[in-house]
Amino acid sequence: MSYLKLISKFFLISIVALLSIAQSYGQDSDNQVISVGANIGNVPWEFQDTKGQLIGFEIDLVHKIASQLGKEVDIVNIPFSGLFSAVQSNRIDIAISSITITDERLKSVSFAQPYYDSDQSLTIRSDSSVKTVDDLRGKIVAVDTGSTGDIWTSENQQKYGFKEIRRYEGITPAVLDLEIGRTDGYISDIPAMQYYTKDKPNLEVIERIKTGGSYSMMFSKHNELAVEVNEVITSLKRAGYINDLHEKWFGTRAEASTSTAKTTAMPGSKEGVILNFVDTFLNKEVLLTTLPMLMLGLKTTIQLGFISIVLGLILGLALALLRLYAPYVVGFLAKAYIDIFRSIPLLVLLIIIFYALPFVGINLSPFYAAATALVIVSGAYTAEIFRAGIEAIPKGQFEASQALGLSYRHMMIDVVLPQAVKIVIPPLTNNSINVIKDTALASVVAMPDLLKQATQAQAIAANPTPLIAAAGIYLALLLPLVLYVSHLEKKYRLREYA
Amino acid sequence: MKTLIKLESVSKHFGNFRALSNINLQVDEGEVLSVIGPSGSGKSTMIRCINLLEQYDSSGSIIVDNKLVKKGKALREVRANIGMVFQNFNLFPHMTILDNVTLAPMRTGGLSDADAKKRAHALLEEVGILDQADKYPDQLSGGQQQRVAIARALAMEPKAMLFDEPTSALDPEMVGEVLNVIKNLADRGVTMIVVTHEMGFARQVSDKVVFMDSGQIVESGTPSEIFDSAKESRTRDFLKSVLSHEAYTNKR
Ligand SMILES: Nc1ncnc2c1ncn2[C@@H]1O[C@H](COP(=O)(O)OP(=O)(O)OP(=O)(O)O)[C@@H](O)[C@H]1O
Ligand SMILES: [Mg+2]
Repeated sequence: MSYLKLISKFFLISIVALLSIAQSYGQDSDNQVISVGANIGNVPWEFQDTKGQLIGFEIDLVHKIASQLGKEVDIVNIPFSGLFSAVQSNRIDIAISSITITDERLKSVSFAQPYYDSDQSLTIRSDSSVKTVDDLRGKIVAVDTGSTGDIWTSENQQKYGFKEIRRYEGITPAVLDLEIGRTDGYISDIPAMQYYTKDKPNLEVIERIKTGGSYSMMFSKHNELAVEVNEVITSLKRAGYINDLHEKWFGTRAEASTSTAKTTAMPGSKEGVILNFVDTFLNKEVLLTTLPMLMLGLKTTIQLGFISIVLGLILGLALALLRLYAPYVVGFLAKAYIDIFRSIPLLVLLIIIFYALPFVGINLSPFYAAATALVIVSGAYTAEIFRAGIEAIPKGQFEASQALGLSYRHMMIDVVLPQAVKIVIPPLTNNSINVIKDTALASVVAMPDLLKQATQAQAIAANPTPLIAAAGIYLALLLPLVLYVSHLEKKYRLREYA
Repeated sequence: MKTLIKLESVSKHFGNFRALSNINLQVDEGEVLSVIGPSGSGKSTMIRCINLLEQYDSSGSIIVDNKLVKKGKALREVRANIGMVFQNFNLFPHMTILDNVTLAPMRTGGLSDADAKKRAHALLEEVGILDQADKYPDQLSGGQQQRVAIARALAMEPKAMLFDEPTSALDPEMVGEVLNVIKNLADRGVTMIVVTHEMGFARQVSDKVVFMDSGQIVESGTPSEIFDSAKESRTRDFLKSVLSHEAYTNKR
């Protein structure tokens, strides 16, 4: 108990230290340069042209505002769901990415006045039988993690009977899976999808979903810059500049009643509390509401970790035996397998399995894609562990078994492997810890593991508490294993010297 | 008398190095054969060929109990018929003494758990360590471990026993207890080949002594033919050097 307390205290202190470092960074550059976080690739708001130049509606706008304030702009690429922590920790001064102003978000961040009124939309493959949102009953729906589309889809899952919601980190992977047929519809901001599908005949935006959100720039709570920017936006609207941008990027001028043309007040902050450290990072209310989501993620993480560890062990043992005792060619192939898959980064393998294999007709669900990648790689590592363990068994043990007339099978099962297991348990436990940690990589293929759930929860609540909670859960899961390994290693060392 | 082990023009190469050349040897049922010779002369290699821990060159042949020793299905049966005791004991460290002895009879001898235990008890009693049956190998002295190894080999009721320098790894005060066990086996009529540096022991228990040098059998005969009136000068030189060494150690 006191040990746990100590750990959590240590954890807190580290966060505070990291935070103050982050903060001082943010403030150092505050005077001349405005640091802007954006989810690059979010057309037509912020994306790269063919020359690699950053362009878009909000890129133009933020540059204009900065020049009015006499400052420079530095743009940082951050995934949408990471923008909230980024402003809250002052790693960036402004976040842009067609962020919808919501009451929930206003509790922990600030927004300037809106400059675009939006809705959500449903995008499908042109050849799809889906024609309206109602047709999505029993189907798989794609959204961007923590976006307005995510919030709307989650709230309406029951009503429309969506079978599953897959969460992606941006348009490109989401659309890729829609095209492959892994998902049946993509619910996302309408302007972005209209712009994106302009030159893509295989995709079609078929329905506007009225959520009535408005976009603006996001700041940390009570940031003076938000007020300054808000004033500049007012003057830019009066000068017609923002509507000029609308015409530039959407081809038409916005109606006079929309927030693109009309000045409005700055959205007031909700619940007026000044969020201190604890409210920001260890917010009890946020924790309680998001805990069920985290638990679902934990379940997925444990299932994925368990399956990958067990199958990886079996594969590794088989590979090690083949490598050591199989005829030359098979042994060589086993060695090649082991060497190759210890060299390929897991993330690369995962992306190949998930996004490339469908083109040769192998279409795995996120869970099985992640499990396959983890088993393939873990098998290669455990093979090496088993090989080292078997090779550590003295030759005399094999000879004594053979001289007694034991079969190969009994020699391995009764004599060699029981001795090898003792040697390999500590490194195998280490490997299992790595496998569980690596399950977090599965969030890139839209699998709702613990990390993914935490990311989504923190974007919806605009508060990083779920991420901290996830860190705590990982710790609770893995720390006992880590301690167990140290214990085993100590025990075997003692026995050796005994 | 029946011939149990027969080597006919057996040679063995390790790459280009010729460890055995043209060995001819015969061991009859109940016979005790000692193999002596300088280090590196091929003694271990020769007896390891008999149960195919080393594959001998295809030019020769080894017959055990009327069966050719070669790779394949029949090999396990041949091996079960020949017990082997190693210089370094090679007990299974993760098993108790009792389990070490019962493993092979249960797995390959087809004995039930109870029968294997009964046999193990009798053998452990014979080698004088029944009271240690539940301990693990690393809790025993070297001499005790080697006696367990002998019991383990005997548990398959082999037709012959091979000993490769069974006392070389032992502290001097434990040599006697192991030699005694082997001597009792010899008295009981167990067929065996013993590679040894213990000349007194070889003289006392052997029916036949073989002297090897450079991978060849230089001379063979009864103990007194070899130890008292060797024909070959290489044999006499070897005996002179070990006996003077033994005399020196004994004086100490
Ligand atoms: N696996 C091997 N590979 C190559 N050479 C070997 C191998 N095993 C033995 N030899 C060589 O064969 C020769 C005979 O070795 P062997 O072990 O049979 O000698 P030995 O008479 O038993 O010696 P010692 O009394 O030292 O045990 C030696 O020169 C040795 O170096
Ligand atoms: Mg030897």
